[in-house]
This record gives sequence, C-alpha cells and structure tokens, in this order.
Amino acid sequence: MRQSAKWLVRVSAKVRRSFAPPSVLPDISPTRGEIGRHDCFCQSLMLQIVGRSSGRLDLPPRGGDVWQDRGGQRRARAAAIFVLCATLPANAADLPRIMSLNVCTDQLAMTLAAPGQIVSISDLSSDPGLSFMYKEAKSYPKNRGLAEEVFLARPDVVVTGTYTLHNTTDLLKHLGFHVEEFAYAQTLDTIPGEILRMGRILHREAKAEAVATNFETGLAAVKASVCGPAPTAIAYGQNGISQGAGTLADSVMRAAGLKNLAAELGYAGMAPFPLELLIEHRPDIVILPEQLSTAPSLADLTLKDPALRALKGTRFGHFVPEGAWSCGGPFVLEAVKALAKVRQQVSPCSTSGAPTQ
Amino acid sequence: MSPLRLNLALGALMAILFVLSLLIGPAHLGPITSIKALIAGGDEASRIIMREIRLPRALLGLAVGASLGLSGAVLQGFLRNPLAEPGIVGVSAMASLGAVLIFYSGLAGASLYALPAGALAGAFLAVLILLAIAARHGSTLTLILAGVALSSLAAALTSLALNLSPNPFASYEIIFWLLGSLKDRSMMHVAIAVPLIVVGCALLAATGRALDAFSLGEEGAESLGIDRKRTRFLVIAGTALAVGAGTAVTGAISFVGLVVPHMLRPLTNRMPSSLLVPSTMGGAILLLAADIVARVAVSAHELNVGVVTALIGAPFFLWLIIRSRREIF
Repeated sequence: MRQSAKWLVRVSAKVRRSFAPPSVLPDISPTRGEIGRHDCFCQSLMLQIVGRSSGRLDLPPRGGDVWQDRGGQRRARAAAIFVLCATLPANAADLPRIMSLNVCTDQLAMTLAAPGQIVSISDLSSDPGLSFMYKEAKSYPKNRGLAEEVFLARPDVVVTGTYTLHNTTDLLKHLGFHVEEFAYAQTLDTIPGEILRMGRILHREAKAEAVATNFETGLAAVKASVCGPAPTAIAYGQNGISQGAGTLADSVMRAAGLKNLAAELGYAGMAPFPLELLIEHRPDIVILPEQLSTAPSLADLTLKDPALRALKGTRFGHFVPEGAWSCGGPFVLEAVKALAKVRQQVSPCSTSGAPTQ
Repeated sequence: MSPLRLNLALGALMAILFVLSLLIGPAHLGPITSIKALIAGGDEASRIIMREIRLPRALLGLAVGASLGLSGAVLQGFLRNPLAEPGIVGVSAMASLGAVLIFYSGLAGASLYALPAGALAGAFLAVLILLAIAARHGSTLTLILAGVALSSLAAALTSLALNLSPNPFASYEIIFWLLGSLKDRSMMHVAIAVPLIVVGCALLAATGRALDAFSLGEEGAESLGIDRKRTRFLVIAGTALAVGAGTAVTGAISFVGLVVPHMLRPLTNRMPSSLLVPSTMGGAILLLAADIVARVAVSAHELNVGVVTALIGAPFFLWLIIRSRREIF
C-alpha cells in the first residue's frame, strides 16, 4: 500500500512537470503560483475570456501574462478551460463542489449532497462488500483516489479518510487543495458528529441535522429494546481478524445487546484472534463476513476451518447486511437492528414480544 | 557416536518436541487435559482444539521438517555441494509459485486440493533446471547462483501473481508463501500433504547406497554398478514430491535442509547414506522447535516460522560460505 502510494507521488510529480509550459494549459503550472487560488480559477478565467472577447478590459491582466503575448493560442486555451469548467453544474454554483477519495466519506457525501454537488466518489463505493450505498453510488462519476484526478477535476473540497492514501493527501495539501480528512469512525457515538461535519463542509447543515437526529432516535429505540442476559458474540473476519474494543463493530454489538468476546478478552482494535481461544470460549454467535471477492484467497479459507465448523451450539452467519458496519454513517443503524434481531432469537426477552424493528 | 545411539537420541528429542508442540497454544488447557482430550475426547472445546488445531500443526511440523532435512541431505550428497538445499537452490520458491498460480487463478476453484498439483509442478521444474545446470557446470558457485536467480524470479512472480489477484487479501498472503507458516493448518492440510511427503521421502531414502558411490564422482559410481539415470530420477521425483507437497500447505520454509545435515555430519561416519535418517529426524526437530519459538517468542503475536528458521539458517549459511571461500573464489 505504502509503495503504491510512493509510486503515485512520483507519477503525480511527473504529471505536475508535464503541465508546466509549453503545455496548452500553462497557467495550471504550479510554478506560476495559480494553485493557491484554484477555487476561483475557472470563474475568473471565464470572466477574463468573456471580457476580452467583448472588448471590455475591466479586469486587470494577470502577472507575467502569457495571454496577451500569444493570442493565437487563446482559442485553444479557451476550449481547454471550457472542458475543465464544463463539469460545473449550474445549480451547484453556490454550493462547494466535492470530490471524495474514500469509501466512507463517499457514503456520507452521497447521503447529504445536493444534486450536482459531487464531482466524483471513489470507485470502491460501488463495491457491495465495502459500501452499503453501492446502488446509489452507481449514478456518480468515479475516481481511483489519484492526485492526478483531483488535479484535473479541481473540486472546491476534497474529502478523504485519515488513514487512506495519506501520501496523496499530503501531496494535495501541498498543491493547495482544500482537503478535509475524516477519521475512521471508531464508535456509534462519533457518527452523528461526522454527519454534521460533512453537512458543514457541503453547506447542507439542515439536511445533516435531520439525518443525525434520525440516526440518534433510531439507535435509542434499539437500545431501549435490549433486555435479558447478553449473549456473547464475535465478529470473526478473514484471516481470523476480530473486531476488539474501540471498534465500530464493538459498539454496534454492545448497542444490540451483545457481549463482544474479543473485547472481553482484552483485544483492542482489529486484531488477529486465535482460533483456539474462539473454540475455548464458545461464543453464542459468530458473525462471519461475506466473501469479499470471488477470487480465492487463503484468508477466506480460515473461515471454513473444520475446527470452527465442529462447534455445536454456536450460531454462525453473516447476520449484518454487507457493508453496513465497515464505515461510519447513518446506515450503521441497519447493522445494529440486524444484530438486535439475532440477539432476540438467541436470548428472547421474557417480558414483551419482539421489541426490535 | 554410534549410529544407533545418535538415532535414538534424535528420536527421543523429536518425540519430546512433538508433544511440547501439542501442549503450546493460546487456549488455557493443562498438559493432562490436553493429552486426555487428544486421546479420549473430553469436552467439546478441548477436543476440537487438540484434534483439529494443535494435532495437524504438530503433524505438519514433523512431516515438513523431516522432508526438508532429508531432501537437504540427499541434495548435498548427490550434487557433492555443501550449499545445496531446497530453499537456497529455489525448489521451495518454485513450489510456492506453482501453488500460487494454481490457487489464485481460480482455475481449480477455491479448493485446497489444487495446491499440491501446482506446487509439485513448480518443484519438479526447479529440480530439473538445477540438475541440468549442475550436469554442465559442476562448480558450487554456478549451482548456487542459478538457485539464487531461480528463487528471486519465483519470488517476484509469486508477488506479481498475488498483486494481480482481485481479492484484496491476496497481496497480504505474499508473506505466507515466501516465509511459510504452520498457523491454523487443519487436518485437511495434513491429508493432502503427508501422503505425498511420505512417498517423496521413500524415493529419497532409496538413494542412500547410490549417494555413497556418488561421493567418488559420477564415473566412479557407474564403475560400482550404480544406475545413474535411476538415481537421478529418484532425486528429482523425491525432492519434487517431498518439498512440493510440504510447500503447498506451509509456504516456502528455508534453511532447514541446509543447517541440519551440516550439524549432524560430524556425528556420523560422514558417508552420505548414514546421514539420511539423522537428517530426517533433525529436520523435524528443527522445524518443530522453530514453530514453538514462533508461537511463544512474542506474546500475542505469532511469527512466521520461516522467519525463525531464516534467523538460525542465514548466519549459518554465511559462515559456510566464508569457510568454503577457497573453493568458491
């Protein structure tokens, strides 16, 4: 991962050089100091071109202006700039245009953005194994998280994850882009805050407020329905990786009224959990991931270990809708509801009927 | 030391390490509970832990270690080369490559049974290439350099194949295939590897008398009535089967076959044939011990067993090269 990121920086550096004069886009060259002002770049150039063609010279010429000297290239440049700015939809003119490089920020952005506000989202967002909103994601343009793509699309804000592509993030900041980083949501408690923050970035505060409140209400309802002794559960992933204390999955399990075996035994974060310990403690519920890819891997074979299957009295299953707890977002509520349902089956409430849903 | 006493001592050590390997694990089972669960059953959890998790691991440590020790001893005797060893000459790496190509391409589905087929093909190809090189240029250096080239190429192609897999986990499995591990192997792995390893070891063991004759040179061996082609076939098929099958389920574990024959040779009469049985047991001892170290060295983190064998083996390899520099340079 790190190596590919380094490679990316090298490639991006090359790209930067290749945009330097004598390209048809000389003003995009960072050497000309345009980068810091990229957010008003398209609009001001448009005005300039319009102003000149109509004979009005009310705009001051730019420093070291190549536009006046090489008039013959003006049409080519105008065409190029038109291509650059054509992605700018009319109704989003007053709202910031956003580009998301991370599957988690993709989903927050899709939830809150106004039509046309999203320039592109990451191509992982249409992967059903990672993204809960993979169906919605189909209608948006995709990026591969490359600095080069951001550079060409010139969004007003870039949103990405703290841990993903941090070399790309550093490069983009260096180039003067407005980058907003989202930490990987650690628990259910941080989700409303993340929703509100994305709302502020998108200038969609009212919508964010509604979504966050809705989420909190739904969560409180599930939590209120929890009763009886908590069954033990473990989220046992590829390669025997478990979700220990402090993870989103841990907080989801607790909210659904389950005891997380990994956290109980002192495992924190995503940590390899010995198969022997799982067998020794015989949890009531083992939550398995759906296979991420149809391509084979040894990691997936861990979940088919005969030792695991030999456990009687333990419920194995996917239980959680795919992608519902891989990112923090309003949809994590679906994961909580799904687990609360399983908990209800394993250890039914004695007092009232099915309180979940 | 008389051969009988040496073999008895090694056998006892091997048995002790085998039992020790069964008793070590993250689950809190006492030694008596463990053995009882293994033999008589006991409660569900301890029975599954002993029979489905620890037993296959110990069995594979034993079988794969033995096959590496034996194939190291045979290759060193046959090629009359102190540096020959399946790991160094690239047989293990090629076996890994073969297994990776078959498994990750999905040609055989996600079936474990496909692994040995690819690994055997890779190991077979590697032994053929090496013997062809050794037949033309007898020098130690040529063989080792060819082995290094073959290993590097196989490792690079293995990494490439894993990186190209659309499965996001595949690229992390490079570590497994290049360094080897006995973690969480199941009885299924034992079932697919051990029979092939036994056949391979039997073929290798059948070369004993011929290897003694080969220490006189190939012509000398022929004059003693040794069938050169037959010996060659036994070495190729035996190494490919023993190393290939082992690598298919544990990844490439290096240096076991190098270190063991050298450590045991001074305790024998230095005839290649009298080294075969001790090396077989010595390989099993080294791998079982390395696997125990891999499990307990860093608490809560399991090392790859290949890291441990390389930590023992690589300095030893350097020392051997320095000692034999007169021949090489």
